[in-house]
Amino acid sequence: MCLAIWQILLKLKKMQQHKYSGLPISLGVSLGVLLISYGIGSASISMGDAFRVLLHKLFGTPLPQTIQPSTVSILWSIRLPRVLMAFFVGGALSVSGAVMQSVLQNPLASSYTLGVSSGASLGAAIALAFLGSVPVLGRLSMPVFGFGFGVLTVFAVIAISSRLDRNVQSSTIILFGMVISLFVNALLTLVESLNHEYMQRILMWQMGSFSGRRWFHVQIVAPAALFGTFCLLWFHRELDILSFGDEQSMSLGVDSRKIKRILLVLASLMTGVSVCFSGTIGFVDLITPHLVRKVYGASHKRLLPLCLLYGGSFMVLADTVARTIISPREIAIGAVTALIGAPFFLWLYFRKRD
Amino acid sequence: MSIRLQNIHAGYGKTEVLHGITFSVEEGERAAILGANGSGKTTLLRVIAGILPAQGDVLLHGQKLSEMKRRQVASQVAMMMQVSQTYFSYTVEETVLLGRYARTEGRFGKCTPEDQAAVDKALSLCGLTELKDRSVSTLSGGQLQRVFLARTMAQDTPVILLDEPTNHLDLKIQAELMGHLKEWSKEKGHTLLGVYHDINLALSMADRFIVMKEGTILYDGDEKALLEGDVLQEAYEMDVAAYMRDQYERWKTKGL
Repeated sequence: MCLAIWQILLKLKKMQQHKYSGLPISLGVSLGVLLISYGIGSASISMGDAFRVLLHKLFGTPLPQTIQPSTVSILWSIRLPRVLMAFFVGGALSVSGAVMQSVLQNPLASSYTLGVSSGASLGAAIALAFLGSVPVLGRLSMPVFGFGFGVLTVFAVIAISSRLDRNVQSSTIILFGMVISLFVNALLTLVESLNHEYMQRILMWQMGSFSGRRWFHVQIVAPAALFGTFCLLWFHRELDILSFGDEQSMSLGVDSRKIKRILLVLASLMTGVSVCFSGTIGFVDLITPHLVRKVYGASHKRLLPLCLLYGGSFMVLADTVARTIISPREIAIGAVTALIGAPFFLWLYFRKRD
Repeated sequence: MSIRLQNIHAGYGKTEVLHGITFSVEEGERAAILGANGSGKTTLLRVIAGILPAQGDVLLHGQKLSEMKRRQVASQVAMMMQVSQTYFSYTVEETVLLGRYARTEGRFGKCTPEDQAAVDKALSLCGLTELKDRSVSTLSGGQLQRVFLARTMAQDTPVILLDEPTNHLDLKIQAELMGHLKEWSKEKGHTLLGVYHDINLALSMADRFIVMKEGTILYDGDEKALLEGDVLQEAYEMDVAAYMRDQYERWKTKGL
């Protein structure tokens, strides 16, 4: 599947007469992926019926009487929000990953480098183990605590790095990101060992899933992903310059100390919002920026919107596999992204070396 | 644009590298900084570029560097650093265009004709026009060095700082490129301050020579006194003149 995606991407590149035409073509590809994934599922509903329901809901076209209300409900209230949720989470993680890689000048950095995932997992575990369901927050206890702890962890990493290193160099941030992640992971292990009965739920949350995600979740994550991408896109020239390193950035006129912190916080907030509703899903944030850079170049003006589209599409495809391959059971999406992503990444790496 | 340094102390962490440096460079002057490894040459350039904080004052045309915004500094001073690798696949043209950042206000618009003209000129002077669509990650060390020199030229600032600009270049490219750079800076009236390891190159590029040793200035003067005295011997702790004469004799005896 990955090889096929890669071939399609290369063909798309050749089709482009102009480098900026990548966006409309990629938009078309993403729309296609969204529609196909919306049409595929464990419930035996034909692709035709799925599209009729979509047209009915969007444009009010008449619905054939053969389509049951339960089918409409499955498609509109369960499958479509799930597909959209996967798209926006995948997109947000990929954009965030691209920014982290550029700001830290490290192609192996990811949206989790600053400890968002460790912090979010700890927050979710605390909410589950000690607080039960907080009355005011209800079902949102885990996401809210996950988001809060994830963001707090990032702030801690940036605050400590800034205090100890006046220039907030990338190596310092990566080092403290690792150290604090390990510390937070140790706290997580402690919480888990004191609360065996919740261990499985915590583990499931960490592996990630889009099961049971509804329009309510999409209404939070979609604007966050779109607005976050726009905010980061605003800094596309600074991101291009920061990719060359701190000293060069300063010499070209970028206040790297200040801009870096803004970008890291923005990218981490995007990751935090995504992770708190889906769990920590790896690889998409690492692999999408690499693929997009290879095909469309490194300029962030193109890279960020394309990461949103292709990262979203990759996650939608992975979720389709996760929910259909051993239907009616599901597998954790984190396992699917890693199973596809790891060999693909290796193939890409060795292909380049050859 | 003139540069004035007053009692500069700077270093890394608790290690002080520059110990009370004071000198000034006038507008349009071309000066070379010489000295052994670890004498503080690159640190001095970093301080003048505002990259490394220092005690004491750096004045650009009378204005304190520490009171200027980064963008303002970058529109006055460009520094070409020693860079051996890049992480991402920008094209040569995209990389050189980044040199125009401090002069361009727009966020999403295309680059202005003025920016494009500056980039085209820099690409042409550095012999990169043919390579402008190549990814920088596929270039050799020498080609990459030319890209960063082109970016420094595209920045088009009144003060240009060069940190060993030719260490990856072959002799022909080095001679051509430095010749172009000298002519270009002369034509524009730019102040050129360079750190050179090759004394012959320094002699061809500069009219004034600042020799450093252990974070202090050992000599500041012209070519004649530099070559006649024993400053170089003291700075490099070897008989530089004798070494040069030996080399010259070898060329002569081999009949070249």
